[in-house]
Amino acid sequence: MKVVVVKPERCVGCLQCRFACAVAHSMSESPHAASYETVLSKPRIHIGLSKNKDLFPNKCRHCDPAPCEMSCLTKAIFRESTTGTVLINPDRCINCGMCAMACPFGVVRYHVYVNNKTAAHKCDQCISRQQKGKVPACVDVCKVGALLFEDYNKVMDRDTDEISSLVYLGIRAKEQEKGAYQSLTEYKRSLEELRRK
Amino acid sequence: MSEYQKLSICKDAQLTLKKAYEDGVQTVWDRFKKQEPQCGYCELGVSCRICVMGPCRIDPFGEGPQYGVCGADADIIVARNLARMIAAGAASHSDHGRDLVEVLHKIGEGTAPGYTIRDIEKLKRVASEYGIDTEGLGNEAISKRLAEAMMEDYGMKKEKITLISRAPKQRIELWEKLKVVPRGIDRETSETMHRTHMGVDNDYVSILLHAVRNSLADGYGGSMIGTELSDIIFGTPKPGFSEVNLGVLKEDQVNILVHGHSPVVSEMVGLAVEDKGMIELAKAKGAKGINLAGLCCSGNEIMMRKKIPMAGNHLMTELTMITGVVESIIVDYQCIMPSLGQVAQCYHTKLYSTSDKAKFPFMEHVEFNPMNAKEQAFRIVKESVENFPQRNKDKVYVPTSPVKTMTGFSVEAIVGALGGSLTPLIDAIKVGKIKGAVGVVGCNNPKIKQDYGHVELIKRLIANDILVLTTGCVNVAAGKAGLQMPEAKELAGPGLREICGLLNIPPSLHVGSCVDNSRIIVIACALANAIGVDIDKLPLAGAAPEWYSEKAATIAFYAMASGIFTVLGVMPPIIGSKKVTELATSGLKDVFGACFAVEPDPIKAAQLITDHIAEKRKNLGLNA
Repeated sequence: MKVVVVKPERCVGCLQCRFACAVAHSMSESPHAASYETVLSKPRIHIGLSKNKDLFPNKCRHCDPAPCEMSCLTKAIFRESTTGTVLINPDRCINCGMCAMACPFGVVRYHVYVNNKTAAHKCDQCISRQQKGKVPACVDVCKVGALLFEDYNKVMDRDTDEISSLVYLGIRAKEQEKGAYQSLTEYKRSLEELRRK
Repeated sequence: MSEYQKLSICKDAQLTLKKAYEDGVQTVWDRFKKQEPQCGYCELGVSCRICVMGPCRIDPFGEGPQYGVCGADADIIVARNLARMIAAGAASHSDHGRDLVEVLHKIGEGTAPGYTIRDIEKLKRVASEYGIDTEGLGNEAISKRLAEAMMEDYGMKKEKITLISRAPKQRIELWEKLKVVPRGIDRETSETMHRTHMGVDNDYVSILLHAVRNSLADGYGGSMIGTELSDIIFGTPKPGFSEVNLGVLKEDQVNILVHGHSPVVSEMVGLAVEDKGMIELAKAKGAKGINLAGLCCSGNEIMMRKKIPMAGNHLMTELTMITGVVESIIVDYQCIMPSLGQVAQCYHTKLYSTSDKAKFPFMEHVEFNPMNAKEQAFRIVKESVENFPQRNKDKVYVPTSPVKTMTGFSVEAIVGALGGSLTPLIDAIKVGKIKGAVGVVGCNNPKIKQDYGHVELIKRLIANDILVLTTGCVNVAAGKAGLQMPEAKELAGPGLREICGLLNIPPSLHVGSCVDNSRIIVIACALANAIGVDIDKLPLAGAAPEWYSEKAATIAFYAMASGIFTVLGVMPPIIGSKKVTELATSGLKDVFGACFAVEPDPIKAAQLITDHIAEKRKNLGLNA
């Protein structure tokens, strides 16, 4: 099943995904009109910033089993069966905060977005766009490949191929540089130096 | 083919786009597609790159930051960005104007071989506007004095630029009250850059009022000087016929294109291609002759004056090379896509840049200045002719036959066609045979199906008895659609049809290049002065259905500030600020008597304009 795969090391912090997310979930779905609507659509993807200033596009992972779903007493949170997407029924939401407490990723927010009441608010994997054959809006606008819409196993297969190239790049370089015995003695020497410290 | 029909209404564009795809050539439309979706913050105008505490963005959805690092809110950021856009447009036109002042000065000093004064009467007329007593002075002496007086317009010696006095008295008083009378052409652009530096002007109204002053410095300054001096040096255009579309390129001739904006280069190339020695050389190389054609506003300049045909407008520039018959393109500056060199790699076309201000990848630089222009033009034309045998016959494809079009409607020519004064036009407006006049101007933009915005709007306006004046890329669009031929009167409403028939003119008149929007301003001022009312009372409007450039933003601003309601087909990056948007689309009306509207659909835009003209007519006590 296709999900939004995040490649955090590629994120440049342009926030296009947030913009597109808000537009895709607005009434007008137009970038020009969305910021003029009475109830402003809020982005459902958040860019985290580590202490080292590394970026992480953070959004609902649609876990299975989902801690938020399990902790929701009113059963406002449920799973849509065809896409496996974890969704929120805002009418049932009592705004208790249990899902936020249970979420391991910190992706739940509380906003007024339907029927003038505050309710839990998070990524719906653009389920309505998917029904029209489109990819989620955040993925659509990501220019750098930090957000992909793919089957996780396929992405990991590709990553495995990439890793093998990297591994052999290192091995080949090392082969050309010096002999294995030399490397071994250097290694032993460094161990000795470490021990002395 | 259907996918190409979505990109352009022009047959020549559609057919060459298909060939571009087959030849593996990337065009502006391919690159546009790759850029989509474009940055939402930038489209709304709420991203700021002015200082390096930033870059900053305002979150239009209210959750994220509402202030830049410096504390600027969406209103300040949008106003600063817009003002800088206006400054860039004013700088472009005015620097073009400055080059003509330089040529005039060198003519005066006798150091510009090849250039001369072609309209002595206009030289004297403009000189007298500058307070120069021309009695007993030779052309050289007048040229030098006029050039020096115009140089002062560019500086800070004056309280106001000279040609602003062409505006009606009421308008000047309004500008004085609002403190937006431009003092110096370069001064206002510099001041915009100063004001929008971090920590200077942080009142969005004050920033935008200065942007108005900056635009007026272009419309009544740099651009107007550009037009008047081009007429003086190269001749004031007179009506005549020419041809347009890719079919103007000839399979059996050496094809040379001029592209850019300045007539300083294109006029000289025009001279060189007529040289007998060059034509002999072309024949020796197996060609039947040398065919010169224009692109963009360099094309407009030589079409207006010399009736040299035009191969296309902005989005056609890359496509000309796809025909495989273009030996060279000679460019000066503005609107020349840096991609031209890449396209040329696939064909035999040689590209030449000519201005030290404008160099491009894969182009040979041959510097033109008033002293060497003639010899450089001959050198390039010779090399182009020698390039003819390099043409790959398998790649040759001229898709269409050219269309005939009328051109050359300078202000003087329009007055001439009316029999020496504007009175017949005013009378026609009064009795309602002509309901009003609209300047349809501006560029092409891949966001709008090429030429659709222009052609559809013009058709609807003339059908409503509204006279249309075109400049820039619109001329090519209207020309290709046959709207600029006297026969197009059949598409006009009964009143306009009658007038066009009487005067034997088209219902849509080609008045020049984009710098020549100053001609439209001159006509608007003259109409207002003749009737004795301010411009905003007249049944006039402006439209830029497919604009892309900063210059177009400046033109829109000076048109609005002159009192002309202006409809833009492409959204400017301002709507991230509700206050600036409200000001632009309605608030300005209380200040300048005119405001902007944004309407990408030309059918709806035509409705907005006809309604506006009907309202103005009603207010003047004329029949709707």
